Amino acid sequence: MRKPFNLAFCPVLAVVFLVLRIKVKNAETGAAVEMELENENTIDEVIESAATFWSKDMGAYVLRKGKKVLRGGSSLSDAGIRAEDVLELIPDPEGG
Amino acid sequence: MPTPLKPGAMDDDRYDRSKRVPWLDIESISMARVLMVGAGAIGNEVAKDLVLSGFRKITIVDMDHVVGSNLNRCLFFTEDHVNRRAYKSETIAEGLTRLSHEAEPLAVTRRIEDTDRSVFNDHEIVLGCLDNIAARLHVNSHSYAAGKAYIDGGMDGLVGKVMVSFPPSGACLQCGMNKSHAKVAALRFSCTGKDVVFHEPRLAAEITTTSVISAVMVREALKIVSGKTDLLLSNAFYYDGQRNVSEEIEVPLDPGCPVHSRRD
Repeated sequence: MRKPFNLAFCPVLAVVFLVLRIKVKNAETGAAVEMELENENTIDEVIESAATFWSKDMGAYVLRKGKKVLRGGSSLSDAGIRAEDVLELIPDPEGG
Repeated sequence: MPTPLKPGAMDDDRYDRSKRVPWLDIESISMARVLMVGAGAIGNEVAKDLVLSGFRKITIVDMDHVVGSNLNRCLFFTEDHVNRRAYKSETIAEGLTRLSHEAEPLAVTRRIEDTDRSVFNDHEIVLGCLDNIAARLHVNSHSYAAGKAYIDGGMDGLVGKVMVSFPPSGACLQCGMNKSHAKVAALRFSCTGKDVVFHEPRLAAEITTTSVISAVMVREALKIVSGKTDLLLSNAFYYDGQRNVSEEIEVPLDPGCPVHSRRD
């Protein structure tokens, strides 16, 4: 009988499995970018990376998954983000 | 004895068509006291919609003067107001009395941060028509502490958002903010060592998005005053005029939000 594969014996693969690949969409342009993240990364970090990648004007943004805004300080695991999830970066308009 | 029916009487009643919306409570609307903070583009539209909807007692807080670049989207402002450097709050108040002799607007030409906090207790609903995050946070926390509904509107170009905070239930405006908001708020203020300078950004702004966002804000105020809170926007309403899409997105209550912990 074959032994079950044990990640503990293969640290390189274990690291690979901890990396989370997600897609972030730009609500303003429809463009998308793939990001490689770890569970400990925060939503704030995703927002900052995506806004910088698209050279966004200095403004406030929120990240949403489906019909829910994600809390900035949450880690990806706390926010329930899984591999292959698609998140959307939307501007939070400041003007009045 | 009920008033006898007269032909054409319904055309004389200012609110006849409003009364045909079954749940609109015109009497409660006429009695409600509304605090409107900010008298820019959204403020102009919100004030107009409030008075046409039957609100009378409206306090308008704003410390700014009318400038030429306001004229592409502000109903009550004219070139004469620009030349006279008229106060925005006073100009809107004057305009409202022209719209309806029943309107009782009160203009307060002061920053909301410099206004006595009792102003929040003296009104049933607070409408935020502001242009910066710091003032929004101030109004949000004081409205929440006073237990008053806070309806906040914001826009940038063809994009807009409305959020309703209805204490003690649900999220408040600050629950939906993150580090990018803190960064923007900090950027608006620069400390020179002697003074703190406020940098007002020149954001894209036009009337059609302003109208949509303001209309949603006033409609939510009508629901609150008419007791139809089951129909109330419980989350944030996002509008993208470029793509012609709008949707409601849930903003979860943040257990670490300082506004909630202060009240609880």
